Amino acid sequence: MTRESGRPLSARLADAGVDRRSFLKFCAGITATLALPAQMAPRVAYALDSVDRPAVIWLEFQDCAGDTEAFLRSRNPSVADLLLGMISLDYHETVMAAAGVAAEKARDDAVARGGHLVIVEGSIPTGIPGSCTVGGRSAEQILRESVRGAAGIINVGTCSAFGGIPAAGPNPTGAVRVEDVVSEIPVVNLTGCPVNADNLTATIVHFLTFGEFPARDRFSRPLFAYGERIHDTCQRRGHFDAGQFAEQWGDEGHRRGWCLYRLGCKGPSTFHNCPSVRFNGGTSWPVAAGHGCVGCSEPSFWDSMSPFYDRLPHVATSGLDLTADQIGVGVLAATATGFAAHGVGKVVQHRVAAHRERQAADRLAEDAETPAAETDGHGDGDGSGDGTAGAAAPAGKAVPSSETDGGRETGEVK
Amino acid sequence: MTAPAPATDGPAAHEPAAHEPAGDEPAVHGAAGGGPAPFVRVRVWDLPVRLIHWLLVLDLVALSVTGFLIGTPVIDPGGGVYWMSWTRTIHKVTAYLFIALIFARLCWHLRSPNPWSRWTEWIPSTRERLGQIVPSLRFYMFLTREAPPVVGHNPLAGLTYCVLYTMFGVEIVTGLVLWGAEGTGWASWLTGWLLHIVPLPTLRLIHHLIMWLTWGFMIHHLYSAILVDRVEGTGVMTSIFSGNKFLPKDHR
Ligand code: SF4
Ligand code: SF4
Repeated sequence: MTRESGRPLSARLADAGVDRRSFLKFCAGITATLALPAQMAPRVAYALDSVDRPAVIWLEFQDCAGDTEAFLRSRNPSVADLLLGMISLDYHETVMAAAGVAAEKARDDAVARGGHLVIVEGSIPTGIPGSCTVGGRSAEQILRESVRGAAGIINVGTCSAFGGIPAAGPNPTGAVRVEDVVSEIPVVNLTGCPVNADNLTATIVHFLTFGEFPARDRFSRPLFAYGERIHDTCQRRGHFDAGQFAEQWGDEGHRRGWCLYRLGCKGPSTFHNCPSVRFNGGTSWPVAAGHGCVGCSEPSFWDSMSPFYDRLPHVATSGLDLTADQIGVGVLAATATGFAAHGVGKVVQHRVAAHRERQAADRLAEDAETPAAETDGHGDGDGSGDGTAGAAAPAGKAVPSSETDGGRETGEVK
Repeated sequence: MTAPAPATDGPAAHEPAAHEPAGDEPAVHGAAGGGPAPFVRVRVWDLPVRLIHWLLVLDLVALSVTGFLIGTPVIDPGGGVYWMSWTRTIHKVTAYLFIALIFARLCWHLRSPNPWSRWTEWIPSTRERLGQIVPSLRFYMFLTREAPPVVGHNPLAGLTYCVLYTMFGVEIVTGLVLWGAEGTGWASWLTGWLLHIVPLPTLRLIHHLIMWLTWGFMIHHLYSAILVDRVEGTGVMTSIFSGNKFLPKDHR
């Protein structure tokens, strides 16, 4: 822990031009984001003012730095200001001033002290040996070494949490999520593409206030941010229930702000607090701006949420691309055709057999006087089912007892 | 829907002795002139089976129509009518009924005194049932004219119900996951772990595809019933209403 001059956060923020009022407003806002009762705000403020700043190592692997961007370009007083006041960001490739050996040393020192937080952005390529190598160490090595003795791991963005875009099929780099590489250290997944910086701040505040990560769902996502479905908190939900849908981009319904379900909105499959926390300082979020949710914060986001503008995924291979309804109608047509053909076949089969029997009977009638003695008794010489279309043989009266087809045992007759 | 059931029908009529072809009421319907092929009336489908069958048909129609509309909401009755909400409510209520019906049928598979209602009818397990598989295949492949002599289903027909019920099982489980996603706690607790294996949109896709496959099965089911009705002449088509088949006297 780097106990920097022991001065409280609010005092340090005041130096940076953030007054106490803004600080308290921030604490109240974060308390609300964390879904804590408003009475907790003073406790949050007190905790932030008194805790030691934990050392934080921010690692980037297969990423687009979008989460770093989200973190740096946020509201005013900027989350970055506050965060950087709350933590000691000892290593961050994109923003740190140090370089080369000095930078590596800063990271190694933080790890040596232990109790640090590791923030990971991007997935880890395991399919290409030596990829993402920095200072002679591969991505996987860097991750393993950095989390040693850590108090916890915060995965920012879908890539480090679930593999994200790099792990989308066919996953040429063998990208895996952080939890596939390390275990035994508490993990919190802040998914999204990119992460919402407010959720990152809230998670860190929770950690500083209570000494642990917030309650999480089955995918290690904090419930305060991922406990509710977009579809259930969406401002257009009333239009969904009323069956008022935009059907084309820019049509009447779209202009009137109707539900984007039929344009492929993935809100019904996505858990995130975008509708309430929103982006860019609470300005807006995709559905408010007239574009459906694309489900960026869900597992296998890229593979299962595409196509973005269709309700359901397609069944697609390199050669074909079918919707569920195309397959369904095809299956119905194929079964109907197949069985119709089978029915025609059965009728023909019976006609032919009946014709043969009649010929045989005629021949017998010509040849001899004893009828039905040794006609073709086996094979299809049966005829017990008199409902059979046109199968009633002239010799029918002798048939039922000479049943041989299918191994019927007359001895079993009751 | 309810069949013109004979007065003797009812739970009390299903004592174990019912599998004798002569049944409780050995009505022998002679062929013309007391000829060689008198028919015996056999109570093949007992009341629970017929009841579940027809309730399932109605339920599947309701589920398919509402389910399709939920996936493709094309109706536009104008604002003010919360028809999407209602459609989803109907889908949920009928889904509960569906689960109950499937559960009841599975219980009846184990408890029914009627041998043609039991699980052995679907899963060929005896030597005799196994031995009928090849003759059944030969029948469907135009090699013989007659279907093998069975009272209920031939083993191949029985097996298709195993496929159907597997589909139903997947449909119920995927439906429960979707339900859990809406915040139904017990459904999420029961089936939510599946999301670690299959993503939610893929489960939606499977749920939707099985609806179509079920209707594919319906076509097969209707066709087979008509075929067997025509070939066997045992009254298959009316049996699902009345419960009775008319079998030749020498029938096992
Ligand atoms: S999660 Fe999204 S924003 Fe973050 S690194 Fe991955 S692709 Fe970029
Ligand atoms: S716009 Fe999307 S999230 Fe909002 S109600 Fe419609 S489908 Fe649900």
